[in-house]
Order: sequence, then structure tokens, then C-alpha cells
Amino acid sequence: MSPGPILLLAAAATLSAIVAGPRSARAWLALMLTGTVAGLAAALVVLGGSVDWEWRSDFALGGEDVHLRLDGVSALFLVLLCVVGGAATVYAQDYWSEKQYPQSAPRGRAWWGGLLLSMTWVLLCANGLHFLIGWELFTVCAFFLIRRDDRRPAVRAASWLYLAASHAGTVFLFAFFNALAVRRGSWDLDAMRDQAELAPLFWLALAGFGIKAGMFPLHFWLPAAHANAPSHVSAILSGVAIKMGIYGLVRFSGLLPVPAAAGWVVIGLGAVSALLGIAFALVQNDYKRLLAYCSVENIGIILIGLGGALLAASQNDAPWGRLALAGAFLHVWNHGVSKALLFLGAGSVLHATGTREMSRLGGLWQRMPWTTGLFAVGAIAVAALPPLNGFISEWLVYLGLFEAASTRTIAAWAAIPAIILLAVSGALALASFTKVIGIIFLGAPRTAAASRAHECGRMMRGPMLVLGGLCAALGLLPLLFWPAIARAVGSWRPGWADAPAPVALGQLSAAQVLLGVAGVAAAAWLWRKARGGSARRGLTWDCGYATLAARMQYTGGSLAGVAAGWFDWALQPELRQRRPRGQFPASAFRRERIPETVLEKILGPVSAAIRQLAAVARRLQHGRLQFYLLYVVIGLAALGLLVWLEGRP
Amino acid sequence: MSGTLNVLIGLAMGLNLVALGSSRLPALIQAMSLQGVLLGVMPLLLEEEGFNWRVAVVAAATVIGKGIVIPNLLRRATRAANIERESDPFLGFVPSLLLGAGGTIAAVALARALPLLPEHAGTLLVPGAIASILTGFILLIGRVKAISQVCGYLILENGIYLFGLLLIHSTPLLVESGILLDVTVGVFVIGIIVDRIQRAFDSLDTRRLTTLRE
Repeated sequence: MSPGPILLLAAAATLSAIVAGPRSARAWLALMLTGTVAGLAAALVVLGGSVDWEWRSDFALGGEDVHLRLDGVSALFLVLLCVVGGAATVYAQDYWSEKQYPQSAPRGRAWWGGLLLSMTWVLLCANGLHFLIGWELFTVCAFFLIRRDDRRPAVRAASWLYLAASHAGTVFLFAFFNALAVRRGSWDLDAMRDQAELAPLFWLALAGFGIKAGMFPLHFWLPAAHANAPSHVSAILSGVAIKMGIYGLVRFSGLLPVPAAAGWVVIGLGAVSALLGIAFALVQNDYKRLLAYCSVENIGIILIGLGGALLAASQNDAPWGRLALAGAFLHVWNHGVSKALLFLGAGSVLHATGTREMSRLGGLWQRMPWTTGLFAVGAIAVAALPPLNGFISEWLVYLGLFEAASTRTIAAWAAIPAIILLAVSGALALASFTKVIGIIFLGAPRTAAASRAHECGRMMRGPMLVLGGLCAALGLLPLLFWPAIARAVGSWRPGWADAPAPVALGQLSAAQVLLGVAGVAAAAWLWRKARGGSARRGLTWDCGYATLAARMQYTGGSLAGVAAGWFDWALQPELRQRRPRGQFPASAFRRERIPETVLEKILGPVSAAIRQLAAVARRLQHGRLQFYLLYVVIGLAALGLLVWLEGRP
Repeated sequence: MSGTLNVLIGLAMGLNLVALGSSRLPALIQAMSLQGVLLGVMPLLLEEEGFNWRVAVVAAATVIGKGIVIPNLLRRATRAANIERESDPFLGFVPSLLLGAGGTIAAVALARALPLLPEHAGTLLVPGAIASILTGFILLIGRVKAISQVCGYLILENGIYLFGLLLIHSTPLLVESGILLDVTVGVFVIGIIVDRIQRAFDSLDTRRLTTLRE
């Protein structure tokens, strides 16, 4: 069946959801689910088949024919959008309910429909002008979703920062699409790999889409926005919206020729994003902010894969490029699904305890077993541990890089450092998620809020179960998903179509299943033992203190302390402390804060300087007519001088 | 013919200096109106092929407008506002006089350096025009009373008019009469505004208008 009618159904359902959303939550849920399922079906039809869907309108919209195209690459991203979008739609019903937010929930439902629809539009558009319109709509919808809880100043600040950063990115995209349209004489986005003079435009696309993707150092808006948004919004922002930046890069590096240095730069940016993203994640105390920084790391991993593919493409289509690109594509899915799961889990914790500070939580596993289990699944997936999905995609990227390293060409110089940085960031990711799980879910509750926590309802648990199941399926049965990935790789570069699955992937899949079974068995055994009552319960090590309190447990800061110390040059921690003095110290404190280095140390001073300059310029406008006239005279004289100097032989 | 023209332009340049040096508003208006009359006569002198009635009409209109109507409007405004003198200007009278004189010399020197047509090179038209524009600007910048600024504006316009005379053979004087019409309307408006400012603020000092910015 052709995807056209299914997509039409999806669009109609989502549009009616936007209209009906503010009035009826049930109708909205039904319509949104219809829309996402239909969109998913259309994408799967394209990914499963071998024909792209293309449609061109007879009428013009804004002077241009509507030109839609669903090929392997856009279908890949559309699948992720529909899966995460559908799951988060169900989740939102309970999480951001009418009861709790009578004002914010109804409008949020309309914006939610708008966000999903505009992102789909961006994925389908094959016309630069319409792409930009969709891109702006998507940005605006996301802005209003981030500030759902706009009574809190931090939320308002985060949403404005997001909007400003997004618009800075859009400026680059305007320049990009305009330059493209001017040089080609058409806004249509068709393959133009043979027009070598278009190659420098790649840098504009990299800047514009890079801001949206949140790659280091353009990630400065991301942690605040993703941490302050409602959790279902964070899930779609981190899981899907930043992937739209990746989609833009993939799409236009596939359609356009790229400069020779593109692969190197993308790998470099990816490696830096991966390493510093996870270094910042490691030291966060706000668990949603930690997850947001972890997204920066994963964007880095995807970029390493994409950069490897670009590098391979520039080196006579070296075969290892396919592996790297397949790894990147699979990681788009894997990170999207597992990060959405983690944010939904984080939302469940936030819903139950009302705090985002890890140091106020602890011991939640007894009160929230489902959330704990599902969060652990997400953490294992995102930390790229076998047997779940993150491992598979990172393994593919590694495989590509190792093959590149063994070619003894110049590409090895990019691959070897990338492998090392990827390995270091993988280890740090493991440390970060050990910290999250250990501090939030294990141990004893540190505050009353944590001890009063309750498990989330079915409407919140269901979507998490679906996402967790997908993590497992992607991890255990990668061969099942390989054709879809290979199809997307073929869409990106026609010469790379029909790449066979690496032989090792089958063996790996068997090992994953074995490991999975062993892991589940071990977990079940531990669970029974812990619940059985044979274990003695109490607070751990008392170290000679007379009154032992839960607050004295090991903290997240100390857990991450050693590793964080290696990154002091980037993190620039601000420490304020008063040490205890004397035999009977009256008071003491120690406060460590990790600044948003890029925002506070670079962008802050720069924008302050611009404001000062503007204030100086403002003084020129004092309202005295006489001086205004003097400006005119000076201007005239300068103009005359210029003309005179130009006229001189 | 060119000799008479040069004498008239020289007189107009002298009147510029009178306008710059006088602190009394009636004297300033008088200098400006005289300059307007001199300028109005000039097109007749420039006509070489006998009498042209269109030029004559424009000349008459200029003399009446610049020499009689506008000055009378300004005199009425002065009387209504009840001010006689320009007290404490931004730029003192002696400095503005020196600036004006320097400007006039510079204008003559500049005109020598400009690549002019041979038929214009002998006249004082270009230096006169530049000097008048400069004088207009000095008055506009240096004075604080709204009426002095109107005078500065008119002298500036006189300079533009002198430039326009250069093109008398190629451009019809209709353009110039259009400018003149604009100026007359402008002066009407300013006259009304001056009246309003006087009533609202009890002063014509434009320095007090700074709070109106934005």
C-alpha cells in the first residue's frame, strides 16, 4: 500500500487532535495515537520496501509547489518520532493531567500536536522554503511546550534561552537555504552531488543544525531546556527534537557535495561532544540535567559515526563508512528510545517526590519498583552495556572505526583518537549512570519527600514498558532491524545500498540473548533474595557516629569526584566552603557548583560586552536636535570626503 | 552679466555673516529676507536670451515668498512669543562668526578644486551655495531658539537654491518652486508648533525638548 493515504490519515488525525485537544483529553489521546500509528505505518512501508514515496502538489504554497518525499533517511527518523511521540502522548495524559494543571494541560495538548505535526512536515519536506517554515513552527511549538510551567522563573529563562539559541541556528539555516536557492535557481531539494561549488554551504548547515542537535559547544541551551520542560516534553526533545538537527546534517550531507574537511570536522566535534558532554553529565546533581548532558554525549557518538561515513565517502567509498553510518543511524533510534524511557522514568520520580535533586532522594527502589526497573533498563541501554541496544550501535561505530584504523590510510589518524575518546566517554557514561541509579534508587531515602514516594500509574508505566521492550528488542534482535538501517544508508548514498549485515552481528546477537537471559535470571534471583527477608536491613557504615542518619550516605558528588577531577579544566567548578575549626566547630559548609561553562564563561561575558557597547551607542540618542544636526553635517562631510578620495586618480 | 551676479552672490555671502553675528532675532530675520530677495532676482540675470515669462513668474514668487511672506510669518511668531534676543546659544556669536568666515573661505577654496563646467567656473555660485549651506547648519546647530533654527533652515535652503541655479538651463525652475512650496508649508507648520511650544512650555528653548525623545 502506498504511504500517501496513510500519511494523509496521520495528518488529518493530528490536525483534529490539535483542534480537539484543548477541549477533550480523551479525544486528543485517541486522535494522537491514530496519527502516530498511521505515521509509523507509513514509515515502515517505506523502510520495508524499496521505493521512495514522492508527491508534488498542483497548487503553490507561498509561491512554491508542495513537494514531499519519504525516503529511507526520513522514514528512519519518522519511525523514531512516531514511537516516542506516541509513547509520550499516553504518558502525558497522567503526568500533565487536567487535575494538576487546569490551565496548562489543555493548551499543552494543542502545542504537542503542533510539535509532532511540524516535525513530520520537516522530515517530509523536499522544498527549502517549506522546510524552513516547518522548522520555525517546530521551534515555536517546542518553546511553548518547554514553558508549560511558566510560573517558575527558571522555566521561563530556559525557554527564552532555547528560543534565542534556536533562532541563532535558524539564521544560519536561512543563509544556507537562500544561498542554495540562489545558486541553483530553485528551492527544490534534489540530489545535487555533482555541483561541487555548493560544497562550502555545508559549514552553514553544520552551524545551523549543530545548534539544534546540541553538539558541543553549541549545546549551551540544551541542559536548561531539557531539565525544565515537563518530562514528556523532555523525552521528545531529547529523544527526537535534537535528532532533527542530526536529520538536517544527514539529509544535506547526503544531497549536497561536502568539503574535503567535513568528515574530519564532524568526527572532531563528535568526539569533543561525547567526551565533554558526559563529563558535564557526571557532575550534575539534577538528574534531568544529567540526562540532558548525556544527550550531548550521544549526539557526539552519532556525529562520530556520521563523520566516519563522510570521511569514508571522500576516500573512494571505503566500505567501513557503511558500518559507521549504520551505527550512527541505529544509535539515532537507540538513543531516542532509551533517552525517552529515561526521561519518562525521571518524570515518574519527579512526579512522586517533587524534586530534581539527587541528593534529596534515595531508596526509591522499594517504593517504585517498576520505575526503578525500567529506569535501569534505560540506563543500561544508554550506557551502551550489553545486552541492550546501545551496545549494538556503539559496537557498529567501533567496528567502522577499527576497520578505518586498520586501513593504514590517513583516515586512521581520525579513527584512532575517536576510538580512544569514545571509549573514555563510554566509561564515564557508565560511571554517570551508576551514580544516578545508586543515589536515586538504592540506599535509604535521604528526605521525607523520598520516603513518601509512590509508584506511578498505569498510563505512565505502559509507555515506559513499550520503550523498555523496544530497547530489549533492538538489543537482542539487531538482525531484524538491519534491513531498515541498510535501506536508510542506501538512501543517504545510493552507492552504499544493500549493505549486507556484518557477519559478526549475528554472533553478537546470540551472545546478547545469552547475556540477557543470564542477566534476567540474576536480577530475579537478587530480587527474591532482597524481598525474602533473610537480608538484614540497616544503614551502611556508621564510622563511629553516635546518631546515624540517612543524610550521611555516600553522595553523588563524592561518587563522581575522582573522575570529575580530571575535567576541572572544562568544568571550572566553583567551590565555597567553611571548614570546621576547633574542637567544637560551630558551623561549617561546603558548596560546590558546576557552572554552565560555555554559557557563563564565554557567552555571558560576550553578551555583556555587546550590551555595554549598545549602552554607549544609546547615549548618542539624547534628544538634542542641535547635535542630531551636527551628526548630519559630520555624515555629509564624511561622505563628501569619501567621494573625493574615490574620485582621485 | 556675470559681474552683477557675482556682486549679488557676494552680498548674499555677506548676509550669511550678518545672520551668524547678530544676536537680535529681528536682525536675523531681516538678513534672511534680504538674502531671499537677492536670490529671487538672480534667475533673471542668468537668462541670456531675453525675457522669459516663466522665469519671471518664478522669480517673483521667490521674492514674494522668501522676501515677504516667510519673514512676516516669522516676525509675527517672534511678537507672539515675545522674544527679541537669542540668549546663551550653544555656540557663541563670535565663534560662529569665525566658523562662518572660515567656512566661506574654505568654500571658495573648495570650489576651485571642484571639476566645474567652464561657464560656472567664473561665478561665485558654487562657493556661495556651499557657504550658505554651511551657515545654515551652523545656525541650526549653534542656536537654541526655535525661530533662529527656522532661519538657519531657510538659509540652508537658500544654499540649495543657489546650487539649483547651476542647472537652470537643464532643469525647469518648477523643481525649485516645488522646494519653495515645501519650505513655505514647513515654515507654516513650524510657526504653529512654535506657538504651541510657547503656550505649553512657556519657552522656545529647544533644549527643553529633550524629554520628547523616543
